[in-house]
Amino acid sequence: MGRENFHRILNETQQDVLRMGSLVEEAINRAVDALQRSDVALAEDILGADDIIDDLNVRIETNCLNLLALQQPMASDLRTIAAMLDIVIDLERIGDHACDIAQITKSLAEEPPLKPLIDIPKMAAKAREMLRESLNAFAHHDAAIAHRVPEKDDEVDRLYRAVFKELIEFMANDPRAINRGSNLILVALYLERIADHSTNICERVVYMVEGVPKKLKRSVVEINKAVAHSDALLQFGRTET
Amino acid sequence: MDYVVLTAGALLAAVGLLALAARRSAVRDDARPPDGTLHDSVPDAAARFDTLLEVIPAGVVIVEPPGRITAINSSAAKMFGIAPERAVGRALIECIRSYELDRRVAAALAQGVEESAELTFIAATERRLHVTTRAIDRGDGRREALVVAIDRTRMMELESMRRDFVSNVSHELRSPLTAIKIMTETLQGGVDKAASKEFLDNISRETERMIALVEDLLDLARLESGKLDLKFESVDLGDLIRDVVSSQASRAAKLDVRLDALVHDGGVTIAGDRDKLVQVVVNLLDNALRNTPAGGSVTAAVGRSDGKAYLEVADTGTGIPSEALPHVFERFYVVDRSRAKSKGGTGLGLAIVKHIVEAHGGTVEAQSELGRGSVFRCTF
Repeated sequence: MGRENFHRILNETQQDVLRMGSLVEEAINRAVDALQRSDVALAEDILGADDIIDDLNVRIETNCLNLLALQQPMASDLRTIAAMLDIVIDLERIGDHACDIAQITKSLAEEPPLKPLIDIPKMAAKAREMLRESLNAFAHHDAAIAHRVPEKDDEVDRLYRAVFKELIEFMANDPRAINRGSNLILVALYLERIADHSTNICERVVYMVEGVPKKLKRSVVEINKAVAHSDALLQFGRTET
Repeated sequence: MDYVVLTAGALLAAVGLLALAARRSAVRDDARPPDGTLHDSVPDAAARFDTLLEVIPAGVVIVEPPGRITAINSSAAKMFGIAPERAVGRALIECIRSYELDRRVAAALAQGVEESAELTFIAATERRLHVTTRAIDRGDGRREALVVAIDRTRMMELESMRRDFVSNVSHELRSPLTAIKIMTETLQGGVDKAASKEFLDNISRETERMIALVEDLLDLARLESGKLDLKFESVDLGDLIRDVVSSQASRAAKLDVRLDALVHDGGVTIAGDRDKLVQVVVNLLDNALRNTPAGGSVTAAVGRSDGKAYLEVADTGTGIPSEALPHVFERFYVVDRSRAKSKGGTGLGLAIVKHIVEAHGGTVEAQSELGRGSVFRCTF
C-alpha cells in the first residue's frame, strides 16, 4: 500500500465516520419523533436501520486496524486513526440508545400518553446539536469547536433534572403512571448519555488536533440530590394515599 | 391549491436544470470549439448557466468522483447551512451531513442511478427536501452527479395545517349531527311528552352549536382572505363594553359568575368597525365565562396605557399552562379538550378576535397564571 493509497483510505474512513454520525443523528431524531407520536412502525424502522450503523462500525474498525498494521502511521495520522477507533465506539453506543428509545416506544404503544412531551424533545434537540457539532469539529479538525461543545451539556443536565423531578411527581401522585413514568425517565437518561458521548467525541478531536489528551469540562447530574428529592416525594405520595 | 402549483413549478424547474446542467458540463469542459465562431458563445453559455444557478430558488450541487463538491449555488448553501467557499473541493459528506443524500450521489456516480425522494435534513432547523440525484455523462468516460433540492418545509407545514383544519371541522360538525340523528330516531320511535321536550331542546341546542360553528368558519374565511369590509366610524369602547356586558348578564348570572364593565381614563374612543369590535368583546367574554367556575368573576375593561387604547377581559378562571399560551389564538386550539367538550365553544372564537384586532391595526396578547385566571388584552 503506497502513501497515496494510505491517504485515500484514511480519507474514506474519515468520511465513513461522518456517514455513521449522520445515521446516528437521524436515528435519535426519529426515535424521539416515534416516541412522541407512539409510532410503532417508525420504531421498528429505527431498530432495523441499526444494522447499517453496525456494518459501518465494522468497516471503519477494519480499515483503521489495517492502516495501523500495514502502514505504521505516525504523528497526526496516527492520532486520527486512534481518535476514529474511539469515536466509533461512542457513535455505536449513541445508536444503541436510539434503539433503546425505539424499544420503549414499542412497549408503551398500548398505553395512553402520560403527558404531552415537552422537555424530552428539547433534550433530544440539544443532545443532537452537541453530536452534530462534535462531528463538525472532527470533519474540520477544529479543536476550538470541540472545546465549546461540552458547555452545552449543562442545559441537557438541567432538562434531565426537570424531567426526572416532574415524572417522579407524576408517579408519586398516581401509581398507575409508574410504568410509563419510569420508561420516560430512562429515555431522558439515554439522551443525557448521548450528550456525554458527544463530549467524549470532542475529547478525541482535541487529542487528534492538539496531540495532548485532555478531559473536557462536563457537568455532573446530581443524581443523589434528585433521588433524595424523589424519595421525599414518594414518601409524601404514600402519606397522601 | 397554491402549494400544488408551486410544487409542480419547482419540479419542472428541477427537470429543466437537469437538462441544462448536462449541457453546461459539455459546453464548459469538453466541447472545445474548433474555430473562433463558436469560441465566443461558449463562455457566454457558461456565464448564463452560472447566473441561472445563482438566481433560482432550487438548491443545486454538482459532485465529482469519489464524492467531491465541484459547484454549489447559493440556494443549496442556504438550505444546507454551509458557506459555498468552504464546500467546493471538499467531500459531500463533510459538508452536507446526510447519509441518504451521500448514498444516492454515490449510486449516481458509480452506476448512473437516478433517484428522487423526500429527505429530512437536520441542521439548525429541520427541513423537508425533495431531492433529485442524477448522473451527468461528460462524454470522456467521466461522470458527475447533479443534486437538485427543493425546500418543501413550508409546503409540508401548510399541507399539515390544511389536513388538521379539515379534520377538525369534520369532527366539530359530525358531533352535533350524530347527536341530532340519534335523538331524532328516538323521537320517531315514540317517547313520552317530557322526554320529547328534552330531546327537542337538545336538538335545538346542537343545531345552534352547528350554526355558530358555520358562522365562525365563514367569518374566519372572510377575515383570512382579506375580503372583510370594515366600516370605520368613531366607536366609544366604554359604551361598547357596557352594552355587551349587559347582553351577557343573564348568562353570567346563570353560571353564578360576577360580570363587570370598567371604564378607566374617562372612556376611550377609537376609529373602528363597531359590529366587529362587538364580536371581539362577545368572543372574549364567551371564552372567559366558559373557563370561569361558579363563584368567580369576569371583568371587561377599557382605558389608555402608554398613549394607546386598550380593551381587556380578565377572569378568575382555570388559567392556561405557559406552554399552551402561544397557541391559544390558533384555530381549533383547545387547552383542555376533555373539559372543552362539556363547555361548548367552536374553538374559533379567539382566532377571530386576533384577525379582527389585527385588521384594526392592533395587537392582542394573553397572560395567564394556572389556577388564578387569564387576561386577554387588545391594544389599538
